[in-house]
Amino acid sequence: MEAASTKGVLSHLSLLEVQARSRRSRPQQQSRVTELKAKVEALKVQKEQLEAEIQTHQNLQKLRSSLDKQCADEDDVEMEEDSENSELLRLMARHTQLKDLLHAHHLIGGYDVIKTRQGKGVCVSLATAYEGVYLDTYNLEIDLKPAVRISRHNIPPFIPVNSLAKENNMQTHMRAFLDALSQHLNAFAGRKQELKLLKEQHKSVEVMESNVLCSILVLMFTVPKEKTAVLCTLDYIDHSSCLPKRVHLECEDKQLPDSPQWKKNCSLLMETPVHTALTAMRKVGDIV
Amino acid sequence: MDDAARRLLQRLVRRIPAQTLKTTLDKWGRLKAAQRQSMDFTQSKWALTEKLLAICEENELTLKHIAELEMIHVIENPDRSMWYALQLMDPEDDAHSVELTQFKEQFKSHLSELVRHVSIKIKKHTDEAVWIRIAWGDSFSRPNHLKPTYVVHHLQTPYVFVTGLTSKLKLLLTQALVLSTRHQAIKDASLSGRKLTAIRDLLMRQYQQVFPTKYPSPLAESNQNATNPLIDKEQAELSANRHQMACEAFGSGMLPQLQSAVYKLETKFRDHMNKTMTEREEPLKCVVKFASTSLLESLRHCASSGIASTPVTPLLSSIPLKGRNYFVITDNGPGPSSQTRQPQN
Repeated sequence: MEAASTKGVLSHLSLLEVQARSRRSRPQQQSRVTELKAKVEALKVQKEQLEAEIQTHQNLQKLRSSLDKQCADEDDVEMEEDSENSELLRLMARHTQLKDLLHAHHLIGGYDVIKTRQGKGVCVSLATAYEGVYLDTYNLEIDLKPAVRISRHNIPPFIPVNSLAKENNMQTHMRAFLDALSQHLNAFAGRKQELKLLKEQHKSVEVMESNVLCSILVLMFTVPKEKTAVLCTLDYIDHSSCLPKRVHLECEDKQLPDSPQWKKNCSLLMETPVHTALTAMRKVGDIV
Repeated sequence: MDDAARRLLQRLVRRIPAQTLKTTLDKWGRLKAAQRQSMDFTQSKWALTEKLLAICEENELTLKHIAELEMIHVIENPDRSMWYALQLMDPEDDAHSVELTQFKEQFKSHLSELVRHVSIKIKKHTDEAVWIRIAWGDSFSRPNHLKPTYVVHHLQTPYVFVTGLTSKLKLLLTQALVLSTRHQAIKDASLSGRKLTAIRDLLMRQYQQVFPTKYPSPLAESNQNATNPLIDKEQAELSANRHQMACEAFGSGMLPQLQSAVYKLETKFRDHMNKTMTEREEPLKCVVKFASTSLLESLRHCASSGIASTPVTPLLSSIPLKGRNYFVITDNGPGPSSQTRQPQN
């Protein structure tokens, strides 16, 4: 009070005002505290959940390694604790094991082959994948007797199945033929997927032309500053590859395709999948 | 606007259903906004035609533009006429690198070399298909836009689909196609139908084919509640087996809607009771035609229900397997052989 009397009424009033304001904000603080407490609770629950998940995962790992060992030893040791949970865990472990096996099978170029017509023919499944995503599966039915001959398949007509069979001498080198065919199919599936990703991720890039085989791609970029349009043709001459063998640029600004920056972009387009190359080009500001 | 353009427009408006006329005109994009709004689509076709004629006159549109409108209508409604499939053969080394602009130029220049008066329009549809409209004339007459030929081709594939082509003009068209797609020959694919999508899906293998796999089909599990479980089990197994075989022959799910299959038999007549017929030298000629709104689905049903025997006879399974619906059967060949057929108008 002494301070108030020395400094005047006005300053005292403002002091009171500040006090009143802080009193009003206290309930707000109260609610903030409860909010934070709730958050702490939620986080605690999440932590417990994660810990449980880690626990399950570790159990799975343990089971998995014991399963792997079992397979190796051909030893039928029964698991302990036959509760409902352990049964589920065991199934999950088996599932991951089978999935890994399937993955390894595809990695080493294994094909799913089964006998048909009492052993006189086979049906081969060729799976295609791009960056770890499984795409379409194609099938071929091949007669083995009296002669090796493709009797039926569901491969689109623009994949040259018959000429690949001839080139690789299918009669004697079935493996080489299947490898070449699988490469063609995977490259086609990959190019198709790249085009799909490109359309999803780069709305500002216009796809002027493409074809069913996805072997020709004409794109239009816009250069940010001058707003000039660049026409870019990607030519996938090698149909067993996901990368173009030729990149051609066309622009009103005749100097642009010869500039070091765009030369670099060209080689980038030839070395990386088109949608990632475009992301990189956009980051450095060469295209909109 | 000249007389030919006027006639084409009149016929076109007659053909386009009233409820799609507005969207078709919008897609065409040749009318100004005010003109579009002035159109009253509840009016009679005759009144609409008169109105459109006046607008076209005002906008100075020509035959070329009217042909464009027709093309838009045909691309949207391709199932109104008979389509025939052709197959390109012996591709050159550079056949797979033919791209649209190059194809357009080549096709136009080759065809104009062969026919003096011809009007060609090429348009790429959203599904990568290249649509070609050709109005033919000859050395003395101008192109007849009332009887155009339509051609559909997917670049890099060996198949071409045509409609409205007379046998006289077929030679000219096929020659231009062979040259501009960088192939060496072309032949009839012995497949025809009113549904363009059906014959396209069949040849491009864009339908669900079934192959034998390691995994048992889930079909076997259906329908298990009946009086005698043992009999039922036996029956179910058989029917599941039949169903699997039917699906392996024809495919599963929605099948391409083919309307007919024709077998031309040129075989010897064999019957011990009828000596005069059996001893005849020349083969007995007869034609067997199957017709249905969706032939492949009918055949699949016949096989899976046991009406037709399984495994399915090659005569029937050849339709989807070879992508054809016209066969000539003779005594010499073991399987169904073929003969070319002239698509007629």
